[in-house]
Amino acid sequence: MRRVNQEAEGKTYEPVAFEISEERVHAFLDLFGGPPGVPPTFLTAAEFTVFPFVIGDPELALDFRKVVHGSQEYVFRRPPRLGETLMVHPRIASIRQRGGNGFMVVEMRMDDGDGHVVAIARSTMIERDMPR
Amino acid sequence: MTVRFEDLRVGDALPTLTRVVTREDVRAYADVSGDRNPLHQDDAVARMAGFTGIIAHGMFTMGHLGACVAEWAGDPANVVRLSAQFRAPVFMGEEILAGGRVRSLDAQGRAAVAELWVTVQRDGATEFAIRKGEAEVRFPTHGG
Repeated sequence: MRRVNQEAEGKTYEPVAFEISEERVHAFLDLFGGPPGVPPTFLTAAEFTVFPFVIGDPELALDFRKVVHGSQEYVFRRPPRLGETLMVHPRIASIRQRGGNGFMVVEMRMDDGDGHVVAIARSTMIERDMPR
Repeated sequence: MTVRFEDLRVGDALPTLTRVVTREDVRAYADVSGDRNPLHQDDAVARMAGFTGIIAHGMFTMGHLGACVAEWAGDPANVVRLSAQFRAPVFMGEEILAGGRVRSLDAQGRAAVAELWVTVQRDGATEFAIRKGEAEVRFPTHGG
């Protein structure tokens, strides 16, 4: 059976710029509501500028049909600001096998223009042994 | 109303937030997030994956939970950490309920940690779309 390649742990990818556009934040707020400002899960949009490339990386050998999103975390060192551009630095933080399933944590550090960390996003993807 | 740190007690419930999930919402979320996985857009693809039809993105459900937490926090800038574990899928037309409870308070950091969940009622039972969620929020004080 094909399994996620554990040797890819620690692999990094080219950083990508992501602008926190006012228009997109407003579209997000229109959908979910909540007080004005950058919503806590808005940076998902930043993750998705690079996520397809990471998940589709042939070196990982992920069977995408069996992959589900297991958990997600955002840690903010300071609030993201409307209009600023963040540099998104993707990294495979860990790859583990447990109970026949593969667990891959993709971590994206997001820095501001001065190189200070604004936020860290962690997505745990589970490659299931058997389809549900 | 703005919540102040001094008003918080361990065990306090967060105001709950409900919504019915529609196909239009999920399509709008695909556009705003950039997550165009067909599992959330194409019923045929969802059926091949073993579901009865498309399901909401886990991050859609977490976006709803984020709105619940941001309302409680008063300002999304007060949220310093948010996490969630995805469990049951959410189907179109279902109502999701986001809630939480204060687990601990840190007087020095004026921060509260809350445990969070999102539930859906299905076949007479409560299913957890999100469980073991957690948020850390810094609150203003009466002193300013």
